[in-house]
Amino acid sequence: MGQVIQQAPAVRGKPPTVVTGSAVDIQQYLTFLLSGEMYAVGILNVKEIIEYGQLTEIPMMPAFIRGVINLRGSVVPVIDLSARFGGRTTETSRRTCIVIIELVHEDEHHDIGIVVDAVSEVLEVSSADIEPAPSFGAKIRADFIAGMGKIAGKFVIILDIQKVLSVDEIATLATVSDRGAQTTAGV
Amino acid sequence: MDEVLNVFSVEAREQLEAMESGLMQLEQGDRDPETINAVFRAAHTIKGGAGVVEIHSVEKFTHVLENVLDRLRNGEIEVSGEMISALLLGCDHIGVLLDLVAGGQMEADADTARAGADISEQLKPFLGQRKAEAGKLTEAESDVQREDSAAAVNDCWHISLRFGRNVLKNGMDPLAFLRYLLNLGEIANMATLTDALPDADEMDPELCYLGFEISFRSHASKAAIERVFDFCRDDCELHILPPNSKVEEFLGLIEALPEETMRLGEILVKSGALTREELDTGLKRQSTAKVGADGTAPLPPLGNILIQQNSVQPEIVEAAAAKQKTVSEKKAAEASLIRIHADKLDQLIDLVGELVIAGASANLLAKKSGEATLVEATSVLSRLVESIRDSALQLRMVQIGETFNRFHRVARDVSKELNKEIELVINGAETELDKSVVEKIGDPLMHLVRNAMDHGIESAAVRAAAGKPVRGRVELNAFHDSGSIVIEVVDDGGGLNKDRIQAKAIEKGVIQAGETLSDQEVVNLIFEPGFSTVEKVTNLSGRGVGMDVVRKNITALRGSVDVRTEPSAGSRFTIRLPLTLAIIDGFLTGVGKASYVIPLDMVIECIELADTSANRDYINLRGEVLPFVRLRELFEVSGERPTRENVVVVQYAGQKAGIVVDQLLGEFQTVIKPLGTLFRNMRGIGGSTILGSGEVALILDVQALVSRSAMAEEQKARATQGGRLLEAHGA
Amino acid sequence: MNITSQTTAEGATRLLVEGEFGIYHATDIRQRLIEDVRAHPVLELDLSHVSEMDTAGFQLLAMAKRESQRLGSDLRIVGHSTAVREVIEFFNMVAFFGDPLVIPAGEPG
Repeated sequence: MGQVIQQAPAVRGKPPTVVTGSAVDIQQYLTFLLSGEMYAVGILNVKEIIEYGQLTEIPMMPAFIRGVINLRGSVVPVIDLSARFGGRTTETSRRTCIVIIELVHEDEHHDIGIVVDAVSEVLEVSSADIEPAPSFGAKIRADFIAGMGKIAGKFVIILDIQKVLSVDEIATLATVSDRGAQTTAGV
Repeated sequence: MDEVLNVFSVEAREQLEAMESGLMQLEQGDRDPETINAVFRAAHTIKGGAGVVEIHSVEKFTHVLENVLDRLRNGEIEVSGEMISALLLGCDHIGVLLDLVAGGQMEADADTARAGADISEQLKPFLGQRKAEAGKLTEAESDVQREDSAAAVNDCWHISLRFGRNVLKNGMDPLAFLRYLLNLGEIANMATLTDALPDADEMDPELCYLGFEISFRSHASKAAIERVFDFCRDDCELHILPPNSKVEEFLGLIEALPEETMRLGEILVKSGALTREELDTGLKRQSTAKVGADGTAPLPPLGNILIQQNSVQPEIVEAAAAKQKTVSEKKAAEASLIRIHADKLDQLIDLVGELVIAGASANLLAKKSGEATLVEATSVLSRLVESIRDSALQLRMVQIGETFNRFHRVARDVSKELNKEIELVINGAETELDKSVVEKIGDPLMHLVRNAMDHGIESAAVRAAAGKPVRGRVELNAFHDSGSIVIEVVDDGGGLNKDRIQAKAIEKGVIQAGETLSDQEVVNLIFEPGFSTVEKVTNLSGRGVGMDVVRKNITALRGSVDVRTEPSAGSRFTIRLPLTLAIIDGFLTGVGKASYVIPLDMVIECIELADTSANRDYINLRGEVLPFVRLRELFEVSGERPTRENVVVVQYAGQKAGIVVDQLLGEFQTVIKPLGTLFRNMRGIGGSTILGSGEVALILDVQALVSRSAMAEEQKARATQGGRLLEAHGA
Repeated sequence: MNITSQTTAEGATRLLVEGEFGIYHATDIRQRLIEDVRAHPVLELDLSHVSEMDTAGFQLLAMAKRESQRLGSDLRIVGHSTAVREVIEFFNMVAFFGDPLVIPAGEPG
């Protein structure tokens, strides 16, 4: 029991539903496309999905920090997942979306948006159909992968979104980038 | 209760809450050192505060908890279920002691003292020599868990609803009733049951087939929840279980409902009302007790179950209502002033913020429309909004004096305890600032004042030998300075010992042995995490909960803290904070396509940048050299520089600088929206706001920009000097 | 309420529903949904122009989804108006329908 709660970050304000405790858990995932690859993220973390629009860039930030948007009065940071995974920044098209992810960090709730090429569907995946992350071979950092979900015979990378959007790591990367800007400004 | 005691009591309760939630997190498997630290700090703060107001029962008891937590923090012992339980009992006991204090009883009576001693006894195993007991502990742990599972742990009401087929025909919409529930509380989970929906061909679209299982978090009474469904009561089947109902009651509910047992069981487990284990063991117990072991229990008469359900309700509800009543009566008697819950005030300010943004948006649209009357009407509205904003913010303004005054008591007690003579001088007690800021500055200030008294002021003998007055002096000053409030803690003690700081920093690994630092940089090391200069653990400060936390708390408020020190003359800690964290007057500027807000209080004037050809970073401002930063370059804004640029002259902490922008867009009421933890290390941007167009604009952190440009100027000066020297050599 | 049918670039049939999706038109909606679900292996519902949705309307959607599951055909909701989105989210039935709820950019909050 306790273990399960721990694995799936409980989202307050939303149902603290993660209390399924049997050996076979069925969880819901949102799947989306990014640079031609299919990824999934637990639906409990997904707050909403909005079309890509009016975004304010933040200066002196690494490329994967796309900027901030106004989400009904709250200012929400937006991360470019493709750039975060070490690839190019995402080109926007008509189907580009921002998926708003809700995370808990140090007891506080954070909304973070991620840019994806297109969202596809909400699926139920049984834990029996999830394989552990391969130690190599995936294009992204192994610790970003929570598992490989088998969906209709194909593998989908289930992201460990807590790691991908680690507030501490991103905040640190943001500082490093700013320091760089500072030195160039000083010269 | 006198004021000081009151302040302590309120704060101690807050800390107690923090402690409890931290402990609970640990119990749930969280092993983040920061959680452990937070629990420790909370205990430490309670103990410290209790010492200051002389409530020895609390001080002594909390000390035991603190010691356990200290060992936990240092990794000497590990978290265990038994330990957490004991610590939680400890928290409860502190609560009891605080209740006694609130009732005017400063020392615990015999019974309470015995209870306290029992808990201390339980904590003893964690204070040292623990190895032998390892086996015993795991056993005890599982015991605790088993006991817990007997009652379903859940703070939500559970509502089961099966709407009657005819509700829709009777002109009612179940959705409306369910949404109305939100007025009473929060829906923690909702499961919609479509099981009763017939096949497409048989479905009558005007009949209702839906059922709902709802976990509902609310302080409302059962009667109040029932009332929501008054209008459709005859038309639907409604079951309500109060929070923390017994597993058996849920099982009764499952049996009473039309759906299949396992299906409902799954839903309850999913909704968090029951755990899987509770469901399984409960069902097993029931089926063996009754008929066969076929998994589904037989249906008992419906009436029985309903009676059974109803029988649990009244006393629970009554008890809760009675409790609420006594609390509210007590509160009403407390004061003759109107007390407003801070939350309501915060909510008002939030709403005013939204109003300001909506107003800006209306203004923008009016201007676009070009209709003179509309523009006129919206400008009248904006003036009103501005007044409302000011009045609303004023409601939350309090004088810093209330916070300062409690330090008199601190000074008195510290003098006694440390055998030092200390005089506390307060200046600017009438200076006002936002309550939300005051609340958060209390702790850091307490640290600084205690530090000044404990470590700053020397002992009488040392002072006498140095030819200083024996009586030490600590000053607390507050004043406004261009949109900020400045709070100073000044002592006339020995000053910070730079050599000792440096040695300590090397020992603690904060800096490397070979690093060369300026005097000021060395002094600033005291704000680094893991740095604490005092070896001896005193009752007042120490234990390394210190300056790093002070700085962290202050930067979280968009403020800064700075220290100047002079050997044998003393130290001056300067805290600079924004007056409010909510809404400010801003000055809107444009660079490229982006807009930036500069806090208006820091703007001195705006001038056109006359000569853009020269490649230098300063201008001659009426004979004064004014360094400037070009936002376009600093922020790497793409696109061509416009032919005309403007300089906004700003001032922070007495330093002036220019900020070069493309356009001046005028004054703008700025509702501050924090950028969040992700950007906590960012310098140069202090927050964000929302423009009338709905776009996000960034607020410049003038302090960072000014010091950045000052630094660049210094470097340049050095570089040019070097250049000249070279030229001289060459010639 | 008005329902129009069109064929998408991918060849699927798409029903565009405009106006109220609820009890007053329940009989018509039911008829149309059942017919179209049965007629097309892939049916897309564009509900982005639905102004209001009540319990009856929601129930009809659920019925259509169940019918399509029974037939093994595919029913997708490709556009959600705020009204539709709110009801599906309130009833916690996002996963039941399985379609991502995309909020158009610039929609007033």
